Amino acid sequence: MRIQYVVAESFRNMGRNALVVLGAILAVFISLSLTFGTLVFGEIARINTAQWSDDVRVEAFISDNMRDIQGLQATIAGWDEVADVFFLSKAEAFEVALELFEDDPASLELIREDPSIIPASFRIRPVELDSYDTIAARLAGTPGITDVISAGDTVNRFIAVRDALRFVFWILALALGVAAIALIANTIHMAIYARREEIEIMKLVGASNWFVRTPFLLEGMLEGFLGGLLAVGTAAVLYNLTLDRLTDLPEFITLDVGGAFVARWGAVVVLFGIAVGAIGSAISLAVHRYIRT
Amino acid sequence: MIRLQNVTKVYDGSVLAVKDVGLDISKGEFVFLVGPSGSGKSTLLRLMMREERPSAGDIWIAGKHASKLPNWKVPHLRRSIGTVFQDFKLLPNKTVFENVAFALEVTGRARHVVDAQVPQVLKLVGLSAKSDRYPKQLSGGEQQRVSIARAFVSRPLIVLADEPTGNLDPGTSVGIMRILDRINRTGTTVVMATHDHAIVDAMRRRVVQLERGRMVRDQSRGVYQRTDEQPAAPPAATAPTPPPEPAGESPVSPDEPDPQPPPDADGGASNGDGRDDGGDR
Repeated sequence: MRIQYVVAESFRNMGRNALVVLGAILAVFISLSLTFGTLVFGEIARINTAQWSDDVRVEAFISDNMRDIQGLQATIAGWDEVADVFFLSKAEAFEVALELFEDDPASLELIREDPSIIPASFRIRPVELDSYDTIAARLAGTPGITDVISAGDTVNRFIAVRDALRFVFWILALALGVAAIALIANTIHMAIYARREEIEIMKLVGASNWFVRTPFLLEGMLEGFLGGLLAVGTAAVLYNLTLDRLTDLPEFITLDVGGAFVARWGAVVVLFGIAVGAIGSAISLAVHRYIRT
Repeated sequence: MIRLQNVTKVYDGSVLAVKDVGLDISKGEFVFLVGPSGSGKSTLLRLMMREERPSAGDIWIAGKHASKLPNWKVPHLRRSIGTVFQDFKLLPNKTVFENVAFALEVTGRARHVVDAQVPQVLKLVGLSAKSDRYPKQLSGGEQQRVSIARAFVSRPLIVLADEPTGNLDPGTSVGIMRILDRINRTGTTVVMATHDHAIVDAMRRRVVQLERGRMVRDQSRGVYQRTDEQPAAPPAATAPTPPPEPAGESPVSPDEPDPQPPPDADGGASNGDGRDDGGDR
């Protein structure tokens, strides 16, 4: 009966201050939408640039017949334009490919069937990021190298934009997160105020502190939960719509981060919403004079 | 049951509400706290219900060292104390039954306990017929009886009442006192702050008088006014005490010899040391 009472109380208040509660939920929603959007966008960027992390801009695939790989590596590393050369063995390349094609069962099956089709490679970091062309040209004429791919300007720009956007998004999400906490604290404040007589009597007759406080904590968490759910739901719908519409993208760019990613991080974002709600109501409970003994 | 030792309460570092009060109240006693407004009666009650902590001194309530009790243990202490106030403090959106049941529900008593106890205590206060009414459908006296029922429904060891008849006419007040007396007869300790001369004079219970925070009288079977003053100045009694001189030294001690012999007749508990606070400040 006590649990029932506690839960019923939190709902009762949300009905009483519907408008304020809505405001708090929307704040959580907007903040977490941005957070979730940033996560998805970051994942898209990661998938499309994974090859090009650590400032690697050129990848040269090595012929299976090549014997003196170390010698070749030393030669390339000696070039003026080259800062670093990493060697990726066939086994390592296989692992990377498994990850890369995680959401592409057809390709995955293909490489599983015959891992040897994946060549070893050199991953090359230029001194100047823009000098990938020169390096690619020199590599093309080098014996033992079968194929060369380089990142190109698009990737450079993509990465620059990604970093800038990421920064702005996180700042926005953080600011809105703080606003959401404040708004939730406010709804809880109003809830406590509306029930101050009841609280006074509860304290007089000896209701335990958790019994007095839990409804407010639950209410805050529920508001955070709803905001988070709304954020993830909206983002997921928008994202799917975008995926369906944007079919004429260049082939090398994929927007699909995979259902598993959306589900996993969606859950994290919703949990985060609950945490935001709990923090908001905890703040309100901590400062409120009707609640303190 | 209630024991105060050299209790002093200062608000905001400068407002002296209670000064060096010592009081010992046994189980089953009925005690009136009298004195003009601002004399410290309410503060004393708030100290007893652990709404406040004393600035100095010690308080024991129902065997617990209340002045040293950590906050988280206060709810448990409160369950052995019933409280009644001048303004009833009823919840307007709950019926009589629900208001009384509330005290049991929020302290986690089971449904069958609620269903058994509430009608019983409503019968005690004479409101069985009105258990489905809302507070605003009741007279002041009836509302106060609901609030007493709520205070007593959990069978506390102590009932603390802060001017329970303050808002009521004399006839209604008698009814309230009859209920408090009945509760007292069950062995419950009752402490009641009041301005009501007629009630105190009629009941002839232990009287503790406060003036400007000091205990100036502790008398068993007392009346509201000091006995030596009473025949002389009945009108002065109605006006809440002529403003005392600001000097504030030993307010009234020199002029009455009477309360000096501490009460011994009934509770046998009072140690009567409220008198010795005369000079020091």
